[in-house]
Formats: sequence, C-alpha cells, structure tokens
Amino acid sequence: MELDECLELLYKGQLLPEVTVRALCFKLKEMLVRESNVVHIQTPVTVVGDIHGQFHDMLEIFLIGGPVPDTNYLFLGDYVDRGLYSVETIMLLVVLKLRYPNRIHLLRGNHESRQITQSYGFYTECSNKYGEGSKVWQYVTDIFDYLVLCCIIDNEIFCVHGGLSPNVQTIDQIKIIDRFREIPHDGAMADLVWSDPEEIDTSSIGHRENFYHESSQQFQISPRGAGYTFGRCVVEKFLHFNQMDRIYRAHQLCNDGYQVYFDGLVTTVWSAPNYCYRCGNKASILELYSKNEFYFNVFEEAPENRLLNDNFNSSITNGSAINEYFDDANNTGSTETSISDVDIFSDAYQVKSASSRRVEYFL
Amino acid sequence: MEKVVQQTDYDALSCRLAAISKGYLPSVAFQVQRCNYHGYKEMHMEYLHSLKSVSRRIHSKIFRAMQNSFPVMNYGTYLRTVSIDIQINDFLKSHSKFQNVQIINLGCGSDLRMIPIIKNFTNVTYIDIDYKDSIEMKRKILDQNRALKKALESDDDGETNRYKLISCDLNDEAQTVRTLSESTSSDSPTIVISECVLCYMDDHASKQLISVVLDIYKTGIWISYDPIGGSKFSDRFGIIMQSNLRESRHLEMPTLMIYNSKETYSSRFANCNVEIKDMWDIFENDIPKEEISRLKSLQFLDEVEELKIMQTHYVLLKASW
Repeated sequence: MELDECLELLYKGQLLPEVTVRALCFKLKEMLVRESNVVHIQTPVTVVGDIHGQFHDMLEIFLIGGPVPDTNYLFLGDYVDRGLYSVETIMLLVVLKLRYPNRIHLLRGNHESRQITQSYGFYTECSNKYGEGSKVWQYVTDIFDYLVLCCIIDNEIFCVHGGLSPNVQTIDQIKIIDRFREIPHDGAMADLVWSDPEEIDTSSIGHRENFYHESSQQFQISPRGAGYTFGRCVVEKFLHFNQMDRIYRAHQLCNDGYQVYFDGLVTTVWSAPNYCYRCGNKASILELYSKNEFYFNVFEEAPENRLLNDNFNSSITNGSAINEYFDDANNTGSTETSISDVDIFSDAYQVKSASSRRVEYFL
Repeated sequence: MEKVVQQTDYDALSCRLAAISKGYLPSVAFQVQRCNYHGYKEMHMEYLHSLKSVSRRIHSKIFRAMQNSFPVMNYGTYLRTVSIDIQINDFLKSHSKFQNVQIINLGCGSDLRMIPIIKNFTNVTYIDIDYKDSIEMKRKILDQNRALKKALESDDDGETNRYKLISCDLNDEAQTVRTLSESTSSDSPTIVISECVLCYMDDHASKQLISVVLDIYKTGIWISYDPIGGSKFSDRFGIIMQSNLRESRHLEMPTLMIYNSKETYSSRFANCNVEIKDMWDIFENDIPKEEISRLKSLQFLDEVEELKIMQTHYVLLKASW
C-alpha cells in the first residue's frame, strides 16, 4: 500500500491489515535507526504532549494546529494506553513520519514500552482489534525502541517526555546512551521518560531562607516508582551548563492543559483532554513561532470523545449479527469469539470492541 | 433501573476479584494483621467458582472483567475495601465481647466480609439486605459451596444462626420499615453499611431511608461510601461521570451533583456526629509507608494525578448516634 493510501484510511480511523502494519514498522525502523538520541529542529513548530490513544482528540489537534505537513509537529511521547484508540493513534503517527519525515518528530514516552503497555491497555487493544494470535503489539513495541529520546529546538529549548536525570549533566551524555532497547527500570534513559519537576509551595514558607530548601538542590525519589523529582536548582544548573533557555515536557496530567514551573523554566504540555474519558481536564498544544514567541492553544475534548458511548448505541442498529458476539444479554457464557466470522476492519466492530471496554468507575 | 443498579454488584465484585488476583487484597497490614481476616483470597475464589454453576453468563462477564485491571482501579478498590473493614473492626473492638452488636449491610451485593467478621466476633449478628434477585443469587452460591456454607453455619451449641440474607427494596419505605423491624433488633448497637447504595437512590428515597434507619436503631454508626460530583466551578468530573454512566449503561446517579462535596454529603446525616474523608485523604494520610511500598511493588502506578482526581471524588463517611 502506498503511504498516501494508508493515510486516507488512517485519517478515517480505519485499521490497516496486519501485514501492512508489519511493513510500515519495518520501514520506520530503517529511518529511525539513523537518528541520534537527540534531534535538533527549528521553529516554527507545534509541541504536543501526551495523547494516550485518544484518536479523535488527536484529529482535533490537527484541526486546531493545522494539518501535517502545513504545520511542523513535535510529539513528546505517550501515544498509546488508557484511551480506546491507541492502535489508530500510533499508526497514523507512524505513517505521517514516514511520509513527512522532516515535518513531524516523535519522542519516546514512558508508555512506549513493552512492560507498561501490558498493564495500561495497548496490549489488550491490539488483541481485541487484531485477534489473540496477532503480532501487531510486537511490531509496534519494537519500533518504540527506535524512537528518539529528546529534541532541541533552536539550540536553546530542551524537550523530553519526563524530565531530568542525576545521570545526565550534559547533552552529550544523552547522545551516547544505547536507546535501542526496552526502557530500563533505572538509569539515564529511564529518568528522561519518568521524572517530574517538583515545585515547592513558597506561599506556605515563611522565611526567605526556607526557599532554598534542601530538596531543590538535588533529585528526590519519585512517587511513581521510576525516575526522580527535581527542583529549580537542578533545572537552573542543567540549563546553564548546556546553554539552554528552558524545558518543555509532558508526562503529567494538567487540569488546564499546561502547567508552568519555576517561572517558565519548565513547562508541562498535556494534550489529552477529558483524560480517560472521565477526568474533565482541558488540553493544549504549544505553538512555537520563534524562540520567544509562543502560544498555548488550549482546547477541550472532541465531540466524539464525549459521544463515545453514543456510538455504542447507534451500532446496535447497524447489525444484530455483531451484537450476538458481544451483547451480554445473549451471551451463553462462551469467551471465544470466532474472529473469522466478523469483519474486524468494519467500523461497527471497532466501535463495539472499543465500547466493550467501558469507562470505569467504582460502583 | 432496578436491574441496572443490581448489575453494579458485578462491577464491584470484578473489581474486588481483580484486586485480589493482582495481590492488592488482602491487605497485610489492615485486613490480615489488624482485622484478622484469614483465607480471604480463598473465600473469594470459592464464591467465583460457585457462581459459575449458578450463572455461567454472569460468571463469564465477571471473569472477563477481572482480567485486565488498571492500577488506578486496583488502588481505588483497595482503599474502598480496607477503609470500610477498618471502621467496622474499630467499632467492634470498642464494644465488649458480651454485648450483642448488629451489622446491617444495605445493598450488600456479593460482599463477603461477613464471613471473617462472624468468625472473629461471636457477639455479632450480620444481616445482608439487597434486591430479591441479588439475595437469591447470593443465597444459592453460599448454599452450594461447602466451604462457604460451613463458614457461615450456626455454632455447634445450638445458637441461632448469626447470619441472615434478606431481600428488600430499599426505595420502598414501608417495606424497609417492615423488614428491618421484623428481622433486626432496635436495641443492639448497630453498624449500618451502605457501599455505593445511596448514590443510586433519588433524593427523597435516600432521605427516607436514612430517616427510617436512624429512627429504628437506638445507637450505632453508619458507614457510607459514595461518589461525590465535585463542587468547584472548574470540576467537570461529576457531570462527565453522570453522562458516561447514563449513556453507556442507563445508570443514573440522581444526587451526584446535589451531595457533591464532603460538606453537603455530611448534611444527609445532620442529626448525627459525622466524620467524613475523601479517599485521597485516606490514601495520603491513613495508609502506612510499608503498605504503600507493598502496593507499589505490584504494578506501576503511572498516573498519580489521575488517582487523585478519582479518589477526591469518593468519600467515606462515619455517622454516629
């Protein structure tokens, strides 16, 4: 299949055949293997944070920010898991990268990992959409190993998924990491995708002296169980040493779509609105026109995000045959579904399988 | 609506089973050591096993749901379960072993905490109340399963059975008054539990239920766990929750946005001495470090922010009178 043909299908949210997925992933590996761990790009560029399988919201981003290749994009990672359309999301990005390699850059997030995707939904989604025996999850997680770790914009803005590492003082130290592997549990590569900034609440601190709190001098153990939290002093040191101006990163849910730390030295960009279809948060994309001209374009969830469960209802009228495989009222208790009897590329199947993974609450 | 509400028991059960299968429950510090629960996992596996012969359909639904549990859900199930267990345990420990104490679990569903509690406290009578279909299913399972049946049997010295399964529609005031008056004692100190029950009732019905219960029992505590919609202007969690549940499964939460904060939720028990916390409060302050470390070792919890958003929208209330 030609790349443009693929794009046409992907923009409609359709699944590509497994054999096509395999070929595309192979081609992307060939392209990415040549890239350094640190990619250098120039403004204008639009920086995008976590997407987490919220495909309709990603299409919304292309509407708001402009389509590829008209707009240049830098994605900060976390394309999969949690949302119901991780497969569609990552495949569209893969093909866009193949088609417009200099217009879109993809960093690796902590969810671009075999281990995490087994707990957080991507593995399950691949099984549901391509069948238990398929290798799609394997092909995609293999290319995750090739995604670059960070990006520098205009030689002075450092971009990474998570944050800083006690094992990294200079950019050169990032360049020599062997990134072509599963994200390790610790070390520089893990820290870059797992760490978080920690701002001390100065309003609750009385004396000036307390401002220079111990913890801002060094890294602290992260509550996430991987990576570290780091304070202002760590950031100032890193930026000074590497002659950088500021850091853009993602990784943390922001109610308002973005979050500024340390008077602008670090900013989080979060691009998954109404996260997991239940958090109600806003999202943003960061439009960088030049080094110092930028705009946080804040937006809410796409209509499809809200009407996700409307699809569930409408597909019932689309074909009772598919209903019988999933409709619990008729289910005789068999957990086996014959994949060959169902068109797994049909919209109805996709919608049904996505909606059978319900939005979860404590009930 | 009744059927839809009853089915939330399957959600609760699958969440509990998922938390058990991933090792979150039983909690070592709380359930095993402090509350003295033993064989916790086993009793749930027995229940699941017998469920299969009572209803293959429900069993397969629950079995499927418990396979893929997100860490954020497992943490929430853990918090919900242990915090209620602790409240019960604290109350029972504060009463003499020679004083009859009554526990009434409103909307009990497939909850199994009565098993270790009856075993550990010989002065306790435990009454499970729910819709007829739920009670019948539970009765069948407990009857069919030898291990569970034995665990709930009367003591050998001929004392009356201390465990009762009673069907009642809690929305029906007259029926509720009749049922409680006939089957329970109004004098014994009573623990009333409502775990995601009030949230499905409309305002009037829930007010009536609370008033009826407080009227009948002279003294006791009410332990209530429910979601709250959130009162801040920018907080959309509750509105989204209501519409998600309505659209995906026709499940209504009529008072979610009315009793949308700790303060308003507490006002439902205005004539009592009320203590209320949200589950994030409990997570941050009431879970010891060793437990947190143990939980962390089970699965990666990637999104602390998401856990916080969810858990700040669930409350645990203790009302005493």
